[in-house]
Amino acid sequence: MPASASIGRRLGWLSIFSSATALLAASVALLFFQLQEVKSSLVLRLETVADLIAFNVASAVDFNDAEAAKTMISSLKTRPAVVSAGIIVNGRMFATYRRKDVTASELGDLRIPPTGHRFGADELTVYRPVSSEGRPLGTLFIHVDLHEYHQTWRRFALVTGLVAIPALLIALLLSQLPQRLISRPILNLASLAAAVSDRKDYSVRAPSVRSAAEIEQLIGTFNQMLTEIQGQHAEIEDARATLERRVVDRTRELESRTGQLEVQGRELAAANRELESFSYSVSHDLRAPLRAIDGFSKALLSDYRTGALDERGIHFLERVRAGTQRMSQLIDDMLHLSQVTRRALARADVDVTAVAQEVAAELAKRNPDRVVRCVIGPNLRASADSHLLTIVFENLLANAWKFTGAKPEALVEVGQTVIDGAVAFFVRDNGAGFNETYAGKLFGAFQRLHHESEFEGTGIGLATVKRIIMRHGGLVSAEGVEGLGATFYFTLGGKS
Amino acid sequence: MARHLPRRWLMMLVTGLSIAQVCDAVDGAPEYRVKAAFVYKFATYIRWPVSIAAEGSAPFVIGVLGADPFGTSLSDVVRGQNVQGRVIHIRVLSRVEEALACDLVFVSSSEQRNLPQILATLRAAPVLTVGDIEQFAEQGGMVGLITTEDNHVRFDINKAAIEGAGLRASSQLLQLARVVVEARGGHR
Repeated sequence: MPASASIGRRLGWLSIFSSATALLAASVALLFFQLQEVKSSLVLRLETVADLIAFNVASAVDFNDAEAAKTMISSLKTRPAVVSAGIIVNGRMFATYRRKDVTASELGDLRIPPTGHRFGADELTVYRPVSSEGRPLGTLFIHVDLHEYHQTWRRFALVTGLVAIPALLIALLLSQLPQRLISRPILNLASLAAAVSDRKDYSVRAPSVRSAAEIEQLIGTFNQMLTEIQGQHAEIEDARATLERRVVDRTRELESRTGQLEVQGRELAAANRELESFSYSVSHDLRAPLRAIDGFSKALLSDYRTGALDERGIHFLERVRAGTQRMSQLIDDMLHLSQVTRRALARADVDVTAVAQEVAAELAKRNPDRVVRCVIGPNLRASADSHLLTIVFENLLANAWKFTGAKPEALVEVGQTVIDGAVAFFVRDNGAGFNETYAGKLFGAFQRLHHESEFEGTGIGLATVKRIIMRHGGLVSAEGVEGLGATFYFTLGGKS
Repeated sequence: MARHLPRRWLMMLVTGLSIAQVCDAVDGAPEYRVKAAFVYKFATYIRWPVSIAAEGSAPFVIGVLGADPFGTSLSDVVRGQNVQGRVIHIRVLSRVEEALACDLVFVSSSEQRNLPQILATLRAAPVLTVGDIEQFAEQGGMVGLITTEDNHVRFDINKAAIEGAGLRASSQLLQLARVVVEARGGHR
């Protein structure tokens, strides 16, 4: 049940209020008119008494018999309401009467006695002329207290109250009937609405009842609304069923696709592993014959240099040796690359600045004839595999060294920036740069953008860098302008 | 009540004299002024038979039988007044028969000895008899004036005599009477 009062109770209070107001107004009006009536009848009765006494005392006044007059007005002692009475003759008090408990009475100016009556808060005074045969003799006054009057109006008020309260109750009982006619259907409707809301049962209908036109209309509209809701509910249920079917279908489809992908992934991984072991074994197994070729070429050169080999022969042998050395380098790099792929990643907090400085110092020692200005940002740190990060910097800085070979004032910078909200490191040089059209090819193994005669190299370095960065979950990119320099960016994934 | 003081002094001086005599001697005129007013007022509280009242324009005659004690006070009282619309005339009577032509007769104290004869003459005639002779009402007079010890004028009424003459005294008058004689010759 709701916290606020029900419609029945409200209608009840409303009818109590209106009945009570009407009754109160009627009672007050009744009381008022009754009191007016009581007042005027009080005055009339007192005037009648006064007239009777005035008639009786006329002769006493006429014959100047104050004793007799006093005796006559003393007959008022049978009326306890009379406080005092008196006869005023020629501005003098001719005779007076006072109730026993009254000590003195205020009489005002006796020379011009008033006429009629005067109502005070607690007393009433009537003044009547005393005359005989049309000869005015004096004025009689009777002064009464309003004790009886007060009692009367209290009794009236009590009776009015005693009548009003049962009348109010009867009015209430009678008002229940039409009120039920209104409140009962509304209460029924309210409980029905609550039931519909609780059970979500839209098939119920409010029974039609004979009541006020608006309530009948309300019930009709409510039922109509239920019908509409029922229809919409059915539609929604239909739509939901269709949607569920569709979701199930799609899920099944996705599951089968995922399965396929997993199989493909597993196949791919297996193929990759095979390829890696293949390339490892190839590069490893290639070393033995290569060492034989190099060793025997070296033996030929040392043992047969004088006499047996002419200048041409020596030259060819040296070419063979250079070729084997290059191939050895290639094999080393490929081994390196496959190692990078196979090694387990060991992340730790790495002082990137220190790593870069170490690598740069090594490069400077190896190329004592080069003057390269190397600017490395201070306090660079990252969460990475320190061995692999060292390989990254070896490759990138070696590249930078290499491609700035033709510049008289070579500059290599290492620093930190932000790309797409992630911390990125960069290695920038003012070297040969590259054509951005071919930027995509940069990181593939054995891909070269410059001719080997310009810049030596195996074309595996950047592929290795990319592999390492990808293993860290990071990204690598490059930008460059031909002849002005290149910048390589990389992120290291993880939290840093 | 300024007149009380000299009266009391005189009462102390003239011991042995009756109070009535003292009053008579000293306050004669004021006392009769009151009595003159009473005589006129009695006329207003008494109803005469209709046949006489119906004469209408006939004057209302007040007769004074015997020595007139009022001086001008009676004529002063009635001047400009009337009794039920009738003009008031005052006559001084020397013979009792003249009283039959009056409506009201004041029997002076000088006629004390003739009183039984006067009353016998006027018996049953519609004439109101008023007097200040002692025991006037008890002797058969209609209204007897009395002066009380505290010098107030009061009156006795012989209701039987009034009714026997066909007159009617109002209850207002009767309630003021000191003694009301119900039956002729009876005493209360």
